[in-house]
Amino acid sequence: MPMTSEELFQAKKAAIKASRRDRDEESAALTMTSLMDMITIIVCYLLKTYGSDPVVITPTAGQKIPMSRADTPIQDGVPVYLSQRAITAFDKKIVQMDEAGEIDPAALQGHLIGPLYDLLAEEADKGKQMAEAKGEEWPGRIILVGDQMLKFSVLVDVMYTAGRAEYREYAFCIIIKDG
Amino acid sequence: MARRKKIKEEVPEANLLPVMNIMLLMIPALLLAMEVARLSAISVSPPKFAATADEKKEEKKEKPLNLKVFIMEDGYRVSASGQQAGAEAGKSADSAAPTIPLAKPGTALDDFDRYDYVALEQEAKKFKDLFPHETVVTVSAENSIPMQVLVTTMDALRGSECKMLAAMTSDEEIPPECMFWQAIVEAGAG
Repeated sequence: MPMTSEELFQAKKAAIKASRRDRDEESAALTMTSLMDMITIIVCYLLKTYGSDPVVITPTAGQKIPMSRADTPIQDGVPVYLSQRAITAFDKKIVQMDEAGEIDPAALQGHLIGPLYDLLAEEADKGKQMAEAKGEEWPGRIILVGDQMLKFSVLVDVMYTAGRAEYREYAFCIIIKDG
Repeated sequence: MARRKKIKEEVPEANLLPVMNIMLLMIPALLLAMEVARLSAISVSPPKFAATADEKKEEKKEKPLNLKVFIMEDGYRVSASGQQAGAEAGKSADSAAPTIPLAKPGTALDDFDRYDYVALEQEAKKFKDLFPHETVVTVSAENSIPMQVLVTTMDALRGSECKMLAAMTSDEEIPPECMFWQAIVEAGAG
């Protein structure tokens, strides 16, 4: 006797159920190869970026670092940020500039910038002690991260102040200009 | 009592491959789109340290060049051995007129191309030909001169073809294309 369509449907359903019961439980496996590729690339990039620079330079807001063809790598030192608004070092705003881009006269004693000198001298002492503990020579290097429009007089005052705080080597931080 | 039969549920496998492929393409694309500023440094010396450096070179009997470049608002004043370039022999170096006038007279101070850097480099090359062992130059400026002009002036004095990376990272010598690469920054002196 031929099966009706309903019976045929029920039979097929039963067969599917039976096949499901017999099948082993499968576990979902993620394809991790691509993910690993991606992570490897990111890690290599970050290692290259952070591992090659001994000093992390983070310009202050609105600061335009001068452009140059110089290709000498930055050596380890103390970065001092000289923008047209303020002088910043060790994440502290040390001296405020006036609208003309000059140092606040109250902070100046001749060429010496008082608050900057105090901070640099203190850090120089710390640096010397740390170098002595390591048995190394203190490099006494200061990195001047300036602004394109920074006045020469301000630059000279900062260099003079750093010199008084026993920093012996100076470097201007620049952005490498292509071509 | 009806017994509920345990049904083994099929867990569908998430096909993450297309997503991963897109992500993998996006990473280099984003990295290329990023503006990465390559930073570098120009070493400078204050005057007193330069004096020490000169003392070490006293063994050489060659007369020092003492090249000085003073950046003024109306151009460069270049002098060597106390004699301003272009001035009459024996005359004081302190002439009011610039040795190299502005390339763009009448422009504002924030126009960094107002100075004739090409002429300065040519002038430096003349001195370098006469004094091939000299590498020191004293750079000074008027108080209002922007730092970018100072840096570009130092570039011109160093030479446009000068590449010092290899010399700084290995034991190689400074290439001969580099002219006056040891800059002394001096306050307000001409």
